Amino acid sequence: MTRKSVTVAPVTIALRVFAIAYLFLLVAWPVALVVSNTFENGLTALEGVFGDPDLRSALRLTLTAAVVATVINTLFGVSISLLLVRTEFRGKRLLNALLDLPLSVSPIVVGLALVLVYGGRNGWAGPWLEDHGLQVIFATPGIILATAFVSLPLVIREVVPVLREIGIEQEQAAQSLGANGWQTFWLITLPAIKWAVVYGVVLTLARSVGEFGAVKVVSGNILGETRTATLAVEEKYLNFDPEAAYALSFLLGSVSVLSIVIVAVLRARSARH
Amino acid sequence: MSIEISGVNKTFGDFVALQDINLTVPTGGLTALLGPSGGGKTTLLRIIAGLESPDSGSVVIEGTDATKLPVQKRNVGFVFQHYAAFKHMTVVRNIAFGLEIRKRPPAEINQKVTELLELVHLTQFAHRLPAQLSGGQRQRMALARALAIEPSVLLLDEPFGALDAKVRKELRDWLRRLHDEMNVTTVFVTHDQEEALEVADSIVVVNEGRIEQIGSPDDLYDKPASDFVFGFLGPTTRLNGQLVRPHDIEVYRDPVPNAVAGWITKWTRIGYEVRLEVQLEGDPTNDIEPVSVFLTRTEAASLDLRDGDRVWLVAHAAVPVAAR
Repeated sequence: MTRKSVTVAPVTIALRVFAIAYLFLLVAWPVALVVSNTFENGLTALEGVFGDPDLRSALRLTLTAAVVATVINTLFGVSISLLLVRTEFRGKRLLNALLDLPLSVSPIVVGLALVLVYGGRNGWAGPWLEDHGLQVIFATPGIILATAFVSLPLVIREVVPVLREIGIEQEQAAQSLGANGWQTFWLITLPAIKWAVVYGVVLTLARSVGEFGAVKVVSGNILGETRTATLAVEEKYLNFDPEAAYALSFLLGSVSVLSIVIVAVLRARSARH
Repeated sequence: MSIEISGVNKTFGDFVALQDINLTVPTGGLTALLGPSGGGKTTLLRIIAGLESPDSGSVVIEGTDATKLPVQKRNVGFVFQHYAAFKHMTVVRNIAFGLEIRKRPPAEINQKVTELLELVHLTQFAHRLPAQLSGGQRQRMALARALAIEPSVLLLDEPFGALDAKVRKELRDWLRRLHDEMNVTTVFVTHDQEEALEVADSIVVVNEGRIEQIGSPDDLYDKPASDFVFGFLGPTTRLNGQLVRPHDIEVYRDPVPNAVAGWITKWTRIGYEVRLEVQLEGDPTNDIEPVSVFLTRTEAASLDLRDGDRVWLVAHAAVPVAAR
């Protein structure tokens, strides 16, 4: 292998330095500090987190809400994607625009909006639901709703372009060979969009684990019951227990980093196939 | 009769795709739907398959009214222009798909797939993915997949349109032989008149949503029902106000009875053929367009024709065009 020496323009070098410095100051350094602060005293901070029953329950609640929200958004996301790409109906563009709303609206607004509908005392549907034994706001269902709301478009945005790209002919071929709608979806469509669904799921999970604003409004932040891991980070930080805050942050950050790594590996793999 | 189509109409918004189509396709035949793109031939094929539904009219396949039947229940084999290969399945799984959906016993599926692989010469590629096949191989796989379900009719939508000229020619001959062996009623769509003339038993010329003419390749070529059919089946030119084929014009160096005189304004040699453009003198119909004349190289050489020469033209086999 011979390497050609390429002369690099000064502007290119300046741009590279600028990009690296920007990323370092904004992302790499602060995140690295969270990691180094977590392990300042070895594993004691992490042990402290896992030793505290309230923090364990916070982590469990975050995990539950994230997993349930991801399952809901995956089922909903794949169905909506099929609807958007494979059918024509009135108001399709409106629906399409509406689906981006959760990414653009501040999560705190999402939380307030949910309280307005599902609030137990003054909400639009809340009192009726509570009469029938389902408390939404200040309970796990509300946390799941808020989490699902903010991460709603992620699966759809991954799946829609892939559905467009694969086109409709493979599905029509399957139908002409006798496959019904369900068989066509299961045997032809789903394998074709498989990787897109996986990316969507991973991104949804990462987003759901980190949700703070919307959850803060709807959860009531009750210790050991409706306090999620992100809320616990805030509480620990404000109450002069930075070590626990860093350790929790480290755990939450790890989930995101892991997700990015998984997506990167999967993308590389599906690009090869 | 295998397929009977009566009174079929289809519009897409304001666009009229098909208008009052009546057509009978004979059992066991190889029929071409021929016409320019956008003329409605693909829509007609898709209506036969059940991939589109007509606004009105009916489709009867082998005596059963199929108009309201979904594509799954019609038992038609459909081959797409761009193969529509199941990308995540091997060649074997692609071909077996219809049989697996029908829950046939594995031994039967195996046997049938092995036979089909041989028929389409893909035995050695059985365990490849479609991405590892050439275009021609993919289309043969798609054909085997469609034949696996033993369809009552085989429908092909521009099956060789995406292939290069040489492969297209090979597959064309091969389709003809395959059809003679299998004898399944086959309808294929093409915009290539040569393909239709060469392969089909009968040709249906479709233009602007209507059927222009139905007939054997010889009928269509010798007795075109309209200027459109005449023009679509091959090159045309005008001599004495009459539409003729450029190779049906005789060229003389001296005046002969009924001949018109002119000068050669363009002389082009394409392989074995010499193409002339002749500007007529004192053109009686006042046509500005020069007359095209195609000669073989030998004819042109024996007359020693060159650019700028004076010649006399006679249309020797004026083709009667019925509806002017």
